[in-house]
Amino acid sequence: MNCQKVRNWFSERYDFESLKWFFKKKYVPSHRYEIFYYFGGLTLFLFALQFLTGFALALYYVPHPEHANKSVMDIITKLNFGWLFRSLHHWGAQLLIGVLFFHCFTTLLLKSYRKPRELIWVSGVLLLGITIFFGLSGYLLIWDERAFAAVRVATGGAGSLPLFGEYLKVFLRGGADVTGETLTRFYAFHVCILPLITVFLVVFHIALVQFHGMSVPLSLEGKRVDKIPFFPNVFLKDLMIWLIFLGILVTLSVLFPPSLGKKADPYAPPPENIKPEWYFLFLFQTLKIFPGEVLGLNGETVAVTLVTLAILFFLLIPFFDRKSSMGEKSPVYTAIGTFYLVYFIVMTILGFVT
Amino acid sequence: MRLEQSIITRRTFLNTLFSGWFVAFCLGSLYPLLKFIYPSLGREPDFVVLNAKDFLNIPNNSTKPFPWGAKLGLIFKKSDGTLYALKGVCTHMDCNITYKPELKKFYCACHKGWFDEDGKNIEGPPPKPLEFFDITIEDEKLIVAKKGVKVELPKS
Repeated sequence: MNCQKVRNWFSERYDFESLKWFFKKKYVPSHRYEIFYYFGGLTLFLFALQFLTGFALALYYVPHPEHANKSVMDIITKLNFGWLFRSLHHWGAQLLIGVLFFHCFTTLLLKSYRKPRELIWVSGVLLLGITIFFGLSGYLLIWDERAFAAVRVATGGAGSLPLFGEYLKVFLRGGADVTGETLTRFYAFHVCILPLITVFLVVFHIALVQFHGMSVPLSLEGKRVDKIPFFPNVFLKDLMIWLIFLGILVTLSVLFPPSLGKKADPYAPPPENIKPEWYFLFLFQTLKIFPGEVLGLNGETVAVTLVTLAILFFLLIPFFDRKSSMGEKSPVYTAIGTFYLVYFIVMTILGFVT
Repeated sequence: MRLEQSIITRRTFLNTLFSGWFVAFCLGSLYPLLKFIYPSLGREPDFVVLNAKDFLNIPNNSTKPFPWGAKLGLIFKKSDGTLYALKGVCTHMDCNITYKPELKKFYCACHKGWFDEDGKNIEGPPPKPLEFFDITIEDEKLIVAKKGVKVELPKS
């Protein structure tokens, strides 16, 4: 872009030089684990795609129990490329959550959360939770039998929390049971509340990463680490990875478009062998291993409480892991991180197999 | 770096190649998006299928409305008992028209436009005559179709 006039117009009014400076002097450490730096940016890219395809779908979707399922059917069958946008949104969500989990576990095992980056970790875990809620709320919007049953189970699970579980369940459902009220509510969450919170948190998360710079793995702390300029070297690799994943996404979307079930009927039994989405399987499986009664307490309550505590601990790991924060090796937390990762993988696979 | 006979540098060539690819990629991505966001629902149908018994016995010199997509359609029986179907929308500004049996004319109240019973625009602002449709009757079905459209009913 060599429009000198336009450039002059702006440079007379705004200080572009310092912006240029920011990009010029932004360097990123380069070492063995460098590849893991790219998954944060990839998550951002997939989020941006979700926003774009979501905008497009929102032009036609009707958030009403009488029309929701049919409006999705119309999008798939009657509109130009509607099937593609619905498919991209569906597969984009799967990839986003997968990459997000990957990003989360790599930062956990590389101890990127240690001092001074605790708030990056906390905002990241909050984003992970919000993204999963994105998945659940979006899942209900197609208003077919499977989605209806899934949301009934998930919100019911939230109801097993001690003390405020019942309150939370009724808040999520917008009533005693899953009804049209729930659809209205989930629509509000999915297209209005969650996106706003997400944008805010993502900006916060990325601004902090700019402020602190990239974390270097503990094992390389204090050693000489090469630095490469962000622009253009790292940015170009970012773009390459984005392009590869865009290719994967479009391929999956075109070859495996998601199905759409019959319109939900609140009085019908749930469809046969119903399973939650894959990112809920580890929770689902956890609930299954608990017996109906543990030490005279309701088994489900115990399970949900334990899971909640485990998630809370996960959120607060940077504050418990003192050794990493002092820059020492912290084998205990490597073990804990590995346990979380292995548990997640094993339980997800078990959920698939059973 | 430039070859002896070349008019452009290698860098210019590669930059052009990359930008060209990038522009093509963006346009290719934009195409389905633009196709999708341009509304294609609520288009006028080519034909509609009605229940014959609801319309065949209307009195002479009267009309009965039916939905022509999102617009008004009229089944119209002339005083001699022949049956017609037309789009009940004024050709001037798309307002719905009414039939005045005492005058044997169609009237549009928006800007006082008049059409005679053959749909010819005879008074007021309408620039064109009304659009009449083809009618065919199959068993119980009354099929109203745009002129010149081949009707293919789905096999039930």
